[in-house]
Amino acid sequence: MSRDDQNLTEPTGSGSDKRFEALIERALRIDVPGPVARVEPRKLPRWPFIAVAASLLLAAGMLVNSLYEARYFGGDDLATDVIAHVLHEPELLVPTDAPADGAEFDQILREAGARFSVAPAAVSFVRLCPFRGHMVAHFVVRASHGPVTVLLLPNEEVDARTPLNEQGFIGTIVPLDAGGSIAVVGEADEDIEEVRTQVAGALRWRL
Amino acid sequence: MTAAKSELELRREFDQLSRRLRPDLYRYAFWLGRDRQLAEDVVQEALLRAWKAYRDLADPSSAKAWMISIVRREFARTFERKRLETVDISDYEQQLAGDEDDPRVEEMRQAIFELEVDYREPLALQILLGHTTREIAGLMDLTEGAVLTRLHRARAKLRQAIGPDQSGDGSNKS
Repeated sequence: MSRDDQNLTEPTGSGSDKRFEALIERALRIDVPGPVARVEPRKLPRWPFIAVAASLLLAAGMLVNSLYEARYFGGDDLATDVIAHVLHEPELLVPTDAPADGAEFDQILREAGARFSVAPAAVSFVRLCPFRGHMVAHFVVRASHGPVTVLLLPNEEVDARTPLNEQGFIGTIVPLDAGGSIAVVGEADEDIEEVRTQVAGALRWRL
Repeated sequence: MTAAKSELELRREFDQLSRRLRPDLYRYAFWLGRDRQLAEDVVQEALLRAWKAYRDLADPSSAKAWMISIVRREFARTFERKRLETVDISDYEQQLAGDEDDPRVEEMRQAIFELEVDYREPLALQILLGHTTREIAGLMDLTEGAVLTRLHRARAKLRQAIGPDQSGDGSNKS
């Protein structure tokens, strides 16, 4: 605050006025939520927790090793990694009419650093997945012929639209104006353009 | 902004800047609209707009004022689009009640919450964001005299709302 401002808005500058100003400042400083919502961990008994943690650590080590061997992440070919990921979760491509839980979809988008100005229609599955070293949102939209899977990739930059056509799947990886990209993949006879347009137009990254 | 910076350097620089400023931008947006979800949406949109224009920002030292002005414009756009209803006291319970342990701060927070936006905004700009009267006048398109009047009335209303015990020595000097 400038000296002139102080003269006009804090008449005496006394201790009580300073306390008053400090009180206003404290009141204005409300808590600020983080850009990504945190999920509070559940409290578990200690020994079962250690046993579960050890099992998870062992499983994670084996998974990381197998992923490295399969060049699952750390590779340069994003298109191949996208197809590999889709094949890794084939249950997400099974046709279903059951809609995904909206609150769960929002929560996963939040954790993946994304949100939509207009939510995609007909989302049937949603999951937070490890992909090339990051947790990304992976969801499925019911398109005209069947399910189309979408990966939101804030950390993957591509220079131009990259077509995919591997192992019976077609798709595209699209760069976004705000940085990052999306991958849209369906079976060979699927029209993915509508999903691509809908998702790319409404997606916003959380900074 | 220098043209020599790569896209990656600019992104890192902007990321650091937005992380540093985000808390104050969020608080400013909150005190404009008195709604946490609205504040979050406004700040997200404002940061995206800021990123798109960041390369063209001529003076990095003005980044804070520049981003505050973007938040203000984005709030106006969002408010107009959503045509938000008047907030009443029950919304204070929903938005802020229980966030603060100190009852004096809680009482003051509620008093600020109930101020008209014409008084809340310059108060937040001055106390929260450290703006001078001239800067507030420029941002709000007012004369400096009008800003000073609003700040004076804002404090008077707060003193009246919280009573002499909390507002200082009880003489109601402002």
